[in-house]
Amino acid sequence: MSASSSQALEYLELLPRQTHTKLYEQPSTVLAVFRCMLPHLAKSIVMAMLYMPSPFPAADLDAWFRPEAKKEKEKALSVLDQLHIIVHRVDASRQVSYELYKGFQRSLRHALEGSGTHGSFGVPASQPDPNKVDVAFLDDYARKQWENILFYMVGSTVGLATSGALGQDVGTGTKQLLKMGDFVKVVNGRVNITQAGFSFVLQDTNAQVWSLLIVYLRNAAALGMSETDVLSFLFMLGSLELGQDYTTSTLSPTQLKLLEDLSQFGIIYRSSDDAPTFYPTRLATTLTSDASALSASQSLSTSLATTHTDTTAKGFIIIETNYRLYAYTSSLLQIAVLSLFTKLTTRHPNLVSGKLTKESITRAVSLGISSAQIISYLTAHAHPQMQKQQPFLPPTVMDQIRLWEYEGERMEISTGYLIKEFATEGEYRDVAGYAESLGVLVWRNDSKRVFFVDRIEQVSAYLSRKNRAG
Amino acid sequence: MVKAVRGALVKCDASIKAMLVDIDSKNRNDFIIEELDEEHVLVKETKVNELKQRLQDMMKARLKEPETSDSEG
Repeated sequence: MSASSSQALEYLELLPRQTHTKLYEQPSTVLAVFRCMLPHLAKSIVMAMLYMPSPFPAADLDAWFRPEAKKEKEKALSVLDQLHIIVHRVDASRQVSYELYKGFQRSLRHALEGSGTHGSFGVPASQPDPNKVDVAFLDDYARKQWENILFYMVGSTVGLATSGALGQDVGTGTKQLLKMGDFVKVVNGRVNITQAGFSFVLQDTNAQVWSLLIVYLRNAAALGMSETDVLSFLFMLGSLELGQDYTTSTLSPTQLKLLEDLSQFGIIYRSSDDAPTFYPTRLATTLTSDASALSASQSLSTSLATTHTDTTAKGFIIIETNYRLYAYTSSLLQIAVLSLFTKLTTRHPNLVSGKLTKESITRAVSLGISSAQIISYLTAHAHPQMQKQQPFLPPTVMDQIRLWEYEGERMEISTGYLIKEFATEGEYRDVAGYAESLGVLVWRNDSKRVFFVDRIEQVSAYLSRKNRAG
Repeated sequence: MVKAVRGALVKCDASIKAMLVDIDSKNRNDFIIEELDEEHVLVKETKVNELKQRLQDMMKARLKEPETSDSEG
């Protein structure tokens, strides 16, 4: 699972059961969830149960796992449980068994067999488009739109807001969305980037797209759209083919409205606002495909990063062991991003130079950028000359960046719930063990019989199940 | 009966923890819900940022750092 889809998974997990049930009516959604949201082990379990005629006893499932893999099993089951893909049944003789939700089962079967007449994978346009566009054009379009959004966010912070037309093409809807997502703040008509915005800019493109879409989803109801409609449309987009045009005639009114917004982001392309067809761009087709999300979106994000540079090389940053930094770029966006954590001193036509200083790094850290983000950005854009050594960056510089961050951050904070006052040692060990196997346990103190979790829903469900049973 | 308390778990060195406890006691115990052990305290979620800020102020006041020279650009 890539970092970007785990973000989407987090969002999906928190949806109520009714929403899940409605979502799973669409085979394309089910396939997308199955393909990129589930851990591999959960996939195997779903696959095994897909054509089972009767509920699957928990004891039989246990027999498939080695005792030492209990943790992995619990984790997989808890994801399936949260997404309402499997249901626990307890029969009269207290035997637990599992079953797939009917809707999910039916849709996944449809998706695999290609049966049913659902059209949920998009309907290609029947007539050839006279203004057909090719993949290169779509890539270029997506890149331009997306870079505009990024520049709109970063531009003013580094004092480039007044320098011409950059960021002008960002639609008002998009601007509003960035505000709602708390990525930017507008103070006295000036756009200021926020902490969340900084981490947004440093993410890879796919993760950025998901972050923005999740904000969109959260506000869908306020815009008069149904969340389910939007979400299933996004999942459908993920299964479309790049370079193919699709008809808009089968879309619901909500989805038509959605098309307009998505074309602003560069996720889809339409030749005009009332065109009968639309093209998904690479931003759309990599939304839910795990494998290509890495390779394809990486090539997109690197090409995103180098659009304005004259060099064809992918990396452009050189860092010396004395913390000096040289970046072969003339892209304002890249300079803006670099200036978030570098003390830039000189700018030449194709080169900016500066230095990583304690001051510049701690300032970045106080804005919410982590040392890991900085290092991964620098590594991802290291100059080919730097890439000849392993690791790309001088180890002393990496260590120092981490140390600078650590100096500013003396406290490690995690929010959640402290669970305490267990009656017996056995109960404590059992529940803490369960929390640990779910991966929500942050800290435990066995002598005091307390532990801390960052999510409580499943632990409390487990506790109440236990209370009823015991 | 098992209880759950909402809050922010703060992990830090013992020396930092002493400072946190100090800040807390000087402010009508407004920050800390429970001291858990040498390196962990449970803090009111809404107060975390304020506490962080106060800790930073306190450290700045107590530790004088030598100015780093970045002059050679």
